Amino acid sequence: MTPSSTPQLPANGLRIRRASASPDPAPGIRQGPEYAKLVDISRCIGCKGCEVACKEWNELGIEPTVNFGSFQSHRDLSPNTWLLMRFNEVEVGGDLAWFIKKDACLHCAEPGCLLACPAPGAIVQYENGIVDFNQANCIGCQLCVSGCPFDIPRFSQETRKVYKCNMCIDRVEAGLEPACAKTCPTNAISWGTKEDMVALGERKVEGLKARGFANAVLYDPAGVGGTHMMYVVPHGDQLEQYDLPADPTAGAGALALLGTARRMGAAALGLGLLAAGLHYLGFGPQAPEEEKAP
Amino acid sequence: MRPGEIQRFTYVERLVHWAVGLSFVFLLATGLAFSHPRLFWITSFVGGGPTARILHPWVGLVFTLSFVAMFWLWLRDMRVDAQDREWLRAIRYYAMRDKARVPPCGKYNAGQKMFFWTMSLLAVAYVASGIPIWMPSGILGLGPFYGGAVNAMRVVHYLATVGGGLFLIVHIYLGTVAYPGTLGAMLHGYVTRPWAKHHHPRWHEEQSGG
Repeated sequence: MTPSSTPQLPANGLRIRRASASPDPAPGIRQGPEYAKLVDISRCIGCKGCEVACKEWNELGIEPTVNFGSFQSHRDLSPNTWLLMRFNEVEVGGDLAWFIKKDACLHCAEPGCLLACPAPGAIVQYENGIVDFNQANCIGCQLCVSGCPFDIPRFSQETRKVYKCNMCIDRVEAGLEPACAKTCPTNAISWGTKEDMVALGERKVEGLKARGFANAVLYDPAGVGGTHMMYVVPHGDQLEQYDLPADPTAGAGALALLGTARRMGAAALGLGLLAAGLHYLGFGPQAPEEEKAP
Repeated sequence: MRPGEIQRFTYVERLVHWAVGLSFVFLLATGLAFSHPRLFWITSFVGGGPTARILHPWVGLVFTLSFVAMFWLWLRDMRVDAQDREWLRAIRYYAMRDKARVPPCGKYNAGQKMFFWTMSLLAVAYVASGIPIWMPSGILGLGPFYGGAVNAMRVVHYLATVGGGLFLIVHIYLGTVAYPGTLGAMLHGYVTRPWAKHHHPRWHEEQSGG
């Protein structure tokens, strides 16, 4: 690999599982645990402490907002708002219900952003499962935004780079839980190994079912290889009301086609060059007869 | 111009051709760099990844405008007629240098005309698929294009690139080493009479008669 295509890894020596636009596998051999965040929507009281903790820990600054007739703090995620609690108001059985979604990166095992990114090392996946953007390598093309099945990355017009939740990777590497999980007063956000969080999520789903939420599910979509932020969803039959895609996929459809096209395209261009060379070897230059005559 | 030479391309034609050609080579090189990690090093030649990414669409605009100019300039000459269809049927003999079996052509042979028309279609594909990739948040009331639309356009953009790249290989090969004396037509504008008679007999006749 030439120096220019070698990813600049973050300075804190984190173990990379894979990096965007880098055909060579990461050389790591250590096998640490995969971590996951579990968000139990049924336990959320809507305090938005997690939003504040995210802003504080990541030093993202204040973003002014207006009252737009919702309990929600801001309308949308932004380059410096990596976590937004969405409060969708839905009628369930004649009653009003809050369909709360902790809108932030889900840290897919098969990250659509990473698969779509053309800049070597701009998006990395650590061995612990966290997907992180390395803005030093980002070229600002925004293809990750289109590659993400959850509409999470946000492009900054100011810096011409893309940003999203990094699961407080700096805290996690120091053995701490992410800031949102740390601050949650009702333990709606749990943190642990992926294995433990799946088990806990399944227990919570059973509990919800026993309490009458017959359609409760653990949201850990297989189409993206599972996620490292999972949700316990009380109304699992109405995922779209939570703004959760029912069957998200990464690297499928057009992106998979693009991968195939690239292999064939590279071969076609190589064969084209070869054909021109072989033609020249066989026929050589063709000059007008008058000039060829001795 | 030396005695016995005839002009094949005017100054304006050459200028427009090189605006199209050089911008296309830039776009092809940076585009291939984005298309595969093993080619990303190409971005170093234009100042790195972010610079390449910023320049690519703007150079695309230069390509688009100069291509439109080239299209109007050569449209009249590029009409395909019955003799061209005859020539196309003999394209195999043309490639194999079996000159006796290739019908004489005018200023442009049917292969060159096909190149012109194919590149025109590809240019439309580059622009139509390039705009959503360039400005996913939308432009002039169109869009936003995020998600599947952009991913699908990337496939179209890439396939058009491979097509254009293949035609460029043939174009450069035939215009330089395969047919000596051809490149000068696009540099200083003139070709020798034997060259004209050999490669474009009907055009040579027109030039001699007039």
